[in-house]
Amino acid sequence: MTIPLLELKKLGVRYGPLWGVRHLNLKVGAGECVALLGANGAGKSSTLKAISKLLPTMEGKILWSGNCLARCNTERSVKLGISHCPEGRRVLAQQTVLANLQLGAWIRRNKTEIRADLEYCYELFPRLAERRLQLAGSLSGGEQQMLAIARSLMAKPKLLLLDEPSLGLAPILVEELMQCLAKLNKTGLSMLLVEQNIYAALAIAQRGYVLEAGELVLEGNASDLYQNENLRRSYLGDKL
Amino acid sequence: MEVWLQLLVNGISIGAVYALFALGYTLVFSVLGVINFAHGAVFTCGAYFTYIFLGGVVGSNGLLAAQKLPVTFPLAIALVLAGLTAAMVGLLVETVAFKPLRRRGAEPLLYLITSLGAGVIIVNLIQLLMGAEAYALPSNILGSMPAVLALGHGLQIRTVQLLLLLVGGVTMLILNIWLNQSLSGKALQAVAEDATTARLLGINSGAMIQLAFAIASFLAGLSGGLVALSVNIGGPYFGISYGLKGLGVLVLGGLGSVPGAMLGGLIIGITEAFVPAKLSAYKDAVAFAFLFLVLIIRPQGLFGKPPIEKV
Repeated sequence: MTIPLLELKKLGVRYGPLWGVRHLNLKVGAGECVALLGANGAGKSSTLKAISKLLPTMEGKILWSGNCLARCNTERSVKLGISHCPEGRRVLAQQTVLANLQLGAWIRRNKTEIRADLEYCYELFPRLAERRLQLAGSLSGGEQQMLAIARSLMAKPKLLLLDEPSLGLAPILVEELMQCLAKLNKTGLSMLLVEQNIYAALAIAQRGYVLEAGELVLEGNASDLYQNENLRRSYLGDKL
Repeated sequence: MEVWLQLLVNGISIGAVYALFALGYTLVFSVLGVINFAHGAVFTCGAYFTYIFLGGVVGSNGLLAAQKLPVTFPLAIALVLAGLTAAMVGLLVETVAFKPLRRRGAEPLLYLITSLGAGVIIVNLIQLLMGAEAYALPSNILGSMPAVLALGHGLQIRTVQLLLLLVGGVTMLILNIWLNQSLSGKALQAVAEDATTARLLGINSGAMIQLAFAIASFLAGLSGGLVALSVNIGGPYFGISYGLKGLGVLVLGGLGSVPGAMLGGLIIGITEAFVPAKLSAYKDAVAFAFLFLVLIIRPQGLFGKPPIEKV
C-alpha cells in the first residue's frame, strides 16, 4: 500500500480540560479530495488547526508522507506543502488583492514561478484580476473567499486545508466555488475540505469523514455517504 | 509675520524628530499590540552612543571615566552607528523583556512591567558607566558649516535644525517606501493586521517582531543622537521626558498608525514651538493640554480607527 500524503493517527486536541477532537484516524491520499463533515463544534476546525500546527497535538500523531510532524511549527508546515485556508477567509483587509497574493507566496523565492502562479490565480478567478489594486477589505464576501483560496494556492501547496469555504456565500456562488475546487483537485492538488454544506462537499470529494462531538462516527466513499441516513442525523443532531 | 514663520520652522524641525521617535513606538505597537516602555531608554542610549562615536571623552564619575574611542567618526557615520548600536540594544530588550512573555502568551499588562524594568536597568547602566553628569557634544561636528543659516526675510535656521529636519524626513520617507512597497514591509504589516493569518502564510511572526524592534530602536537611537546634537545630553534621565512626549505623539496620531505618528510628531513639535519664551518651562504642559483637547474630540487619535463593538 502506498503511503498517504497525510495521515492522522489517534489525533487528540484539547482545549483546557475539554477535548475538541479525540481518537481521530484520517487519511488523505495524493491527489485526493476528502470531506470532513459534522455539526458545529464537532471538531472539524480543530482538526485543521492541529494539522497546520495552530493548535498543539495532545495525543496521537500527524504523519506527512509517513514522517511525523511532532516538532513542526506553522511556518514550517507551509514550507512542507500544507496550506490552510482559514475559516472566515481572513484576508488582509488593509492590503491590496495583489499584496495578499504576493504574501501568499512568501515562502517561495523563484520569481518566474510566482509570476506564473499569479497569472494562474487570475485565470481561475478573473474577478481578482479586475480588482488586484483594490484593498482586500473592500471586496464582497464571495470575492474575499476567492482571494483566500487563491492566496493559499500561491504557496504552491501539496495539500490544501479548506475551512468552510462556502460559509456566508449565496447558493449560486457556492456552486461556482465548488466547481472551481473540483477543477483544482483535478490538477492533482490534494484537499481536506471542512464543510457545513455537506452535499456540496460530497459532490466534489472522493471520500468523507463525519465527526460528532470530537469523535469519528462515520467514514466512507462520498457516494455512499451521500445516501446515508445517519449522516443527516449526525449533521443536524439527534434531537431533530 | 516672520515671527510665526520662524516658530513654524523651529516646530517642524523638532517635530520631525518626535515623529521619528514615535514611529518606533508605533511599529512595535502595531505588531505586538503593546507599548514598549524601554523605548525612551533606547533613545537615551542613542544620544550617548552618538557622543562616544563622535570621539567624546567619558566624564569622571562613571566606571568608564576618562575613556574614549580610539577613533573619531564623522557626524553622518556616528549617527548611523549610534542607530545600529541602539538597534542591538532594542533586540536585547526584545529577547529579555518580550520574547519570554510572548512564548507563554502572557497578559499585555505584563509587557508594560518588563519593558519598564528593562528601561530602568538601561538608564541605570548608563549612569553606572558614564556618570550622571551632562554631556555637551563636540562643537566642531558640523565642520566648516556655519551654525546658523539665513533663509532671507529675517528667517533663519540653525544648521542643526536643518539636519534634524532632513535626517528625520529622509528616514521617514525610506521607512514608508519600505513598509508599503517591499514584500518584507508588507509581511510586517500582515503580522500587524492578523498574526495568525500571517503564520498561515508561512511568515515567521517572531522574526518580524524582532525586525520591528530593530527598526524601532534604530529610529530611537537616531532621534536620540539628533536631539543630543540640538540640545546636548542632560544626564541619563533626559530621555524620560522625550519618552513621554513620544507616547503623547503615539496616542495623538492613533495607536499603531504610521501616518498618525508622523503628523502627531509635527503637531506636538509645532505646538511646543509656539509656547512663548517666558512660559517655556510649561512647554510640555502645553503640548499635553493640546493632546487632551484633540482626544476629547477624537478619542481614537487622528488616524486611529474607532473601536468596533462586537456583540
